[in-house]
Amino acid sequence: MNANVPASIGELQALVKAHDRIHVVGNGSKPALHHGAGDAALAGAGGFCGIIEYQPQEFTLTAGAGTPVSVIAAELKRHGQYLPFDPLLPNSSTIGGTVAANLSGARRYRYGGIRDFILGARVVDGLGRAFRVGGKVVKNAAGFDLSKFLVGSLGHYAIMTELTFKVFPEPPQHRALRLRYAALPDILDAVYYLNQNIYELDALEFAPADAGWSLLLCLAGFEDTLPSRILALQESLRADTAGLDGGEGDDVNAAWQPLAGLTGDYLVKVALAPKQIPGLDARVSHLKRRYSIGGNLAWVATDDLKMLDALLLEQGLRGLCIRGAASSPLLGMPLEVSLAARVKQVLDPMNKFV
Amino acid sequence: MNHPFIQALQQIYPAERLLTRDVQLLPYESDGLTAFQTKPGAVALPVDEDEIISTVRLCHQMEVPFVARGSGTSLSGGSLPIADGLIIGLNRMNRIKRIDPRGRIAVVEPGVINLHITHAVEPYGLYYAPDPSSQSICTIGGNIAFNSGGAHCLKYGMTSNHVLGMKVVLADGTVTQFGSESLDGVGIGPDLVGLFVGSEGLFGIALEITLRLMPAPQLYRTVLAAYDNLGRAGDAVSMVVASGLLPGAMEIMDRLSIKAAEAAVAAGYPPDAEALLIVELEGEALQVEAEFAQLQGVIEESGAFEVRVAQSEEERARIWKGRKSAFSAVGRLSPDFIVQDGVVPRSRLGEALQEIDAIKSKYGLDVANVFHAGDGNLHPLILYDGREAGALERAEALAGEILAMCVDLGGSITGEHGIGMEKRDYMPAMFSDQELEIMMALRRAIDPKEIANRGKMFPGVEAPALQQHGLHPLEKQGVISRE
Amino acid sequence: MRHQIELDALRAPEMLEPIEKCVHCGFCLAACPTYDLLGEEMDSPRGRIYLMKNVLEARIEADEAQPYIDRCLGCMACVPACPSGVEYGDLLVSYRALQEAERSRSLTDAVTRKLVCETLPYPQRFRLAIRGGKIGRAFATLLPDAFGAMLSLLPESLPAPMPLPAVLPAVGERRGKVGLLLGCAQQVLAPAISHAAAHVLAANGIEVHIPRGQSCCGSILLHVGAEDQARQLARGNFPLMPDDIDAIITTAAGCGSGMNDYELLFKGEADAERARAFSRLVMDFSAYLASIGLRPPPGFAEERVVAYQDACHLLHAQGHQAEPRALLRQVPNLRLVNIADAGMCCGSAGTYNIDQPSIAAELGKRKVAAILAAEPDVIVSGNIGCITQMRAHLNFVGDDRPVMHLAQLLHQAYSEGD
Repeated sequence: MNANVPASIGELQALVKAHDRIHVVGNGSKPALHHGAGDAALAGAGGFCGIIEYQPQEFTLTAGAGTPVSVIAAELKRHGQYLPFDPLLPNSSTIGGTVAANLSGARRYRYGGIRDFILGARVVDGLGRAFRVGGKVVKNAAGFDLSKFLVGSLGHYAIMTELTFKVFPEPPQHRALRLRYAALPDILDAVYYLNQNIYELDALEFAPADAGWSLLLCLAGFEDTLPSRILALQESLRADTAGLDGGEGDDVNAAWQPLAGLTGDYLVKVALAPKQIPGLDARVSHLKRRYSIGGNLAWVATDDLKMLDALLLEQGLRGLCIRGAASSPLLGMPLEVSLAARVKQVLDPMNKFV
Repeated sequence: MNHPFIQALQQIYPAERLLTRDVQLLPYESDGLTAFQTKPGAVALPVDEDEIISTVRLCHQMEVPFVARGSGTSLSGGSLPIADGLIIGLNRMNRIKRIDPRGRIAVVEPGVINLHITHAVEPYGLYYAPDPSSQSICTIGGNIAFNSGGAHCLKYGMTSNHVLGMKVVLADGTVTQFGSESLDGVGIGPDLVGLFVGSEGLFGIALEITLRLMPAPQLYRTVLAAYDNLGRAGDAVSMVVASGLLPGAMEIMDRLSIKAAEAAVAAGYPPDAEALLIVELEGEALQVEAEFAQLQGVIEESGAFEVRVAQSEEERARIWKGRKSAFSAVGRLSPDFIVQDGVVPRSRLGEALQEIDAIKSKYGLDVANVFHAGDGNLHPLILYDGREAGALERAEALAGEILAMCVDLGGSITGEHGIGMEKRDYMPAMFSDQELEIMMALRRAIDPKEIANRGKMFPGVEAPALQQHGLHPLEKQGVISRE
Repeated sequence: MRHQIELDALRAPEMLEPIEKCVHCGFCLAACPTYDLLGEEMDSPRGRIYLMKNVLEARIEADEAQPYIDRCLGCMACVPACPSGVEYGDLLVSYRALQEAERSRSLTDAVTRKLVCETLPYPQRFRLAIRGGKIGRAFATLLPDAFGAMLSLLPESLPAPMPLPAVLPAVGERRGKVGLLLGCAQQVLAPAISHAAAHVLAANGIEVHIPRGQSCCGSILLHVGAEDQARQLARGNFPLMPDDIDAIITTAAGCGSGMNDYELLFKGEADAERARAFSRLVMDFSAYLASIGLRPPPGFAEERVVAYQDACHLLHAQGHQAEPRALLRQVPNLRLVNIADAGMCCGSAGTYNIDQPSIAAELGKRKVAAILAAEPDVIVSGNIGCITQMRAHLNFVGDDRPVMHLAQLLHQAYSEGD
């Protein structure tokens, strides 16, 4: 993609003012988000790259929207910290793209998603106005919280140039546990059991496996207590759920990579609640899929996007396609329009952002 | 109040749920901030969604401003009535409609009291995390409007982080729904829940709210450390953070607030402490014990002269009761006081406290300090005697200087109480004209007649101001100007 | 809160301090039974303080505010709930007394009040009134609500008096000497309470003096704002108690908390000091017994599940939460169960049943539902009013399990093993 890459906010403002239709692109790591852009001018975020302010003591980090997630993660790691919302594509995406598409990984399970960690942003809107939303401290209740609104906004309301997040100390150690279950209902029972239990899991994922289903759990904490915690977890799952076999394994990375092995032309994120999984799964049992963050998010790979679109609509679900040549990345139920349209009317009245 | 409007309301409400007599209206003229008083034109007490929707539509149609009110505990005057406007009292919208312990969610009406949710889900080993000090009486609707915080925000966030979905009526009568029962909330598309929460009642009224519940911690370790000066307690917080720990709560109280809280609830705080630090760890027992061992080491090195660890749930409850009563308890020390709410970067807490010390001596007033140290959220309580001529003005000026300092240090003019009436004139210290204009435009896009909680959040003259004389404190300091 | 109230020096401190201390935070709302029921600001402690303030500032007419003030149970649950230390009770009692003089009442209201003030405190008259009530019950449906409530709570027949000697000697080693107040209405409705209390005290080594000619302590009159009459009756008891007693024991929570307020009631009176001295000696039965340490009773042959219902005037006004429970826990074979929302008033509240029958009934209904959910064999309380209210509401739902005073249950625990 040949994008204009404004080097400054001024250049970005000029770009917005000069074009009728503008589409924002970061690293292009989620190609499906860009197919519908048509002839719109492409605005690259690469000019807004780099960490602007990071104060480990404050648990806050501010970076340009075009900063690769990997750069941020590496800098945080140097200070024993991390982004608890766990960006989904740590090696290929920019932080802006991660926010715009609201893409979290498995470890989001522990403390929350992007909306829970975004503190503020600088943006340029459809009228070319550059301004700030939210704040830069971990707690702030002044004004409307438009920074949260940007999460999942797909660049349709304003272009982010700078983002501020709350960050956390990273737990020193991680351990993973994998258990096999005969069928989906068994695994959902196990998830419900865990939902009402005291275990503070770092990640809770499940997916169909060779024989039956595989439940992947991850615990984080101190080295000297992790073994007993994981043992207790394992024992209670064995005693109180229908787990067949499995145990502690060297599976931390597998637990953290929800997209591994999801081959297919299109890859779709589906937002759902665990109780909606049986209905969906019965219809996608022929597809590669994985249920992430305790069954609150599904990843489905398909070659037939139309079918999935219709299915999601039928089930009252929404999907976002991030891989494949989708004409529109949004699937299933239409988005809310009443409130969102008012924001659009204010930030992008001429409908420039597509 | 105008008759056609009252007559139209009478079509919606039976007489006993439509209050119009002075004696019924006067008790509604203030919320938790008594510096402002405005008698509303009427108070309507809806019992279902349809009544709220009809009422909002009627207000929109007849251009009558309204304020949605829960228990009236706002400390920023957020639910102050509008003269001749309508109060929509949501106290009877207090049903917990559904609890799904397996999915860890609760679906509630806006008038449900915060703590009642925790009581209702306790049997399932769950709780509702946000814990503003007034949690025994404040309602979820109010928590949503002001994105209420509490002592445990650092780790688990504020109200916004615990709302997954909602059905709302916008100020122009449009009913809409966003979010879901998924932990991912809105999940796909812009996060409208995040936008609505904290909008201070200017967008509309939440009718039904889906809340995230959390598993009740298996173990709490609550440590009370006493220091002989405030700075040392502040340093202890930095040391805890630097050690890599992430406590659920870190609170500091100074000598005056300790005295007040002690008088109120006999919390058993060390009597001769200049500052108290409360640190609470919670979670899985094994993990908490390991963190606790680390915390003890840090506290030991921090120079505390006395360290106590709550030995039972009763002791823990007493420690928190003292802390949570502190604001109101100051009523024992002084006939009047202003509760302030500002945020500074945590690493500059010490600096901020010294600055407050300097400012207060300048004004000759006492300031009690209670704060959420973990997230740099200060709550200076400025004590004054309103019967003394000029005392209120001095207290306000002092408060203004503290807020200006928060902004200067890179913080915020409010961490959790919101702007409401109290701080609307300080908004220009935090936001540029353009940023304010964009927010106001958004408000008008949703509420073209500006009827929902008119007069709050934005600087202006549409609602009665605090008895202010001359320049605003921030103007005097040159932080803002009206030109 | 700031105010513009001008009062004479005598009243000022009790009325102005609470108003000044109140910061309108709303914490009291959570504890208030009428707010819980009605969900209106005027029916909350904060709202009532605000209304009283406005009346005293002459912003509104007293008559306008009166219905909301009248709806206050006086249960004092808001007092411990208040972080600012507002003495709501002082304000309420003083306000009621101040307004009573100027108050205009409806005829029914006036008649009811007259009936209450002129009968309840006087055992002989009360006994006669009940006989009248028995006849009157047939006409209850024709009478206004207030009378209906009054009549529905009256017992079918009065129990036989249970006379006590002037002095009941201590059993075993003598550990103390007390005077026992018999109460007014209680003597008529449930003489067994004082009888049981005296015997339990004696069984604990206490010499119990029961002076003849006792009058009402005046608390119920203080509660309705009839201060002069309250003082007049209270004075009757001052000379009766022996000089060298350790405590003056009451078995009625409302009386105990009323007598604690004698200092306020007698402020500026010639015998203020006498009243204060008397007041200092007054102790609730449960608090006294807990303070000297219970001699373990033999207990019950079979397990008895007991629900203890806090009387507001013990729990909120006097702070006796732990003592009665501690006593019960010392009884062998007795299992204590908790009632949900234990601190919530049952709706009895002195004359409230008579003044606000519908709210009292709703609170009674809720209380009984909470009690039944705890599945006790017997319900115990520390106040005749609560006992009567719970008895009546259990009867309404067709439940006949026993409701009794703590003293009565303890008496059983001592006698069953005999």
